[in-house]
Amino acid sequence: MGCRMVKTEIRVGGLGGQGVILCGMIIGKAASIFDGKHATLIQAFGPEARGSACSAQVSVADEAIGYPYVKHPDVLIVMSPDAYTQFAPQLKSGGVLLYENELIKVDDRLPAGVKAFGIPATRLAEELGRRLVLNIVMTGFFTGVTGLVSSEAVEKAVKSSVPRGTEDLNLRAFRKGYEYGREAVTNAG
Amino acid sequence: MKLEGFPQNLTLKDGTEIVVKPLEAKDAPALLEFYRAIPEEDRLYLRDDVTKPEWLERFVSHVEHNEVVSLIALHGKTVVGEASLYRALHGWTAHVGEIRITVQPRLRRSGLGTALARDLVKVAVGLGVEKMIVQMVESQKSARRLFEKLGFRQEAVLRAHVKDIHGIKRDLLIASNDVSHLWEAMEALVSDFSPTVG
Repeated sequence: MGCRMVKTEIRVGGLGGQGVILCGMIIGKAASIFDGKHATLIQAFGPEARGSACSAQVSVADEAIGYPYVKHPDVLIVMSPDAYTQFAPQLKSGGVLLYENELIKVDDRLPAGVKAFGIPATRLAEELGRRLVLNIVMTGFFTGVTGLVSSEAVEKAVKSSVPRGTEDLNLRAFRKGYEYGREAVTNAG
Repeated sequence: MKLEGFPQNLTLKDGTEIVVKPLEAKDAPALLEFYRAIPEEDRLYLRDDVTKPEWLERFVSHVEHNEVVSLIALHGKTVVGEASLYRALHGWTAHVGEIRITVQPRLRRSGLGTALARDLVKVAVGLGVEKMIVQMVESQKSARRLFEKLGFRQEAVLRAHVKDIHGIKRDLLIASNDVSHLWEAMEALVSDFSPTVG
């Protein structure tokens, strides 16, 4: 599913400790530094480091971005039920919802024409060896489903963003999510 | 489980060309041949009788169930070295991995052991292992140096714990390498916390 919009607005939502901001940062970094596009990132944190709601707003465009805030995203990535409840109604009609399908149950609050794709990102991350990399699984899923940024660019962004020594697991997490995303798109026709 | 970055080609100090790759079931006969060619005295440092087909069958099954990660070094079609990472997939030591390395006597001090150990440590970190241990007999001085270079430090000594081929009891050293700090850094990175807001 290629994206031909001039500017694509993305919101990532979840809980502190799920790596929401890193997910948004990697998408923006891949688009701007490695794919030659423009990107902005706005981050919002709750008062605690863990367990509180947090979100990232990412805009990706072929030209310079004048307004970085995202009110009605084209793509919503959610990793917690609260984030889904809060942000799903704001999705654009015909937008794309990417959600953690073992934590979130999709209901009728989605705007018309939204295409929803689910992934058991937490379980996949645990199977890879670390629950911590669930956000990277989600990043791979985003890349596989939307095709907004190239997988090569995101791999480079992942590799250059995570601590030294953890690259292999993070890259495996990315590829797992990416393949899951490609398959989900194929199955959706 | 597919490991990234393999097969890997390397040239040893003496010019020998080696391919390092994860063990597959089809490599099992060559692995058995390799272990059978290891001198008996050296095999005493191994915990299992690696010359028996029953051992091989068990070992391959452990690899297939991801309880053991095994890298083999091939020179042509001959196995010349093997490195294993043993890990408990559940329970209180699920974060710990044990490393065992065996190299053909002809290729010792050629850099092969170091290359295998380095690769396996990298694989272990990638699998989320937080602490690695290695067991050595006091007389295995070059193995001690090798693991020290990779960050392992002696953690325990079990006195007169192993008996060599001549019936002499020797101390068993346990060295460890705690790599949990790598994952602490990752944990900090995904904490979604801003010191200026929270």
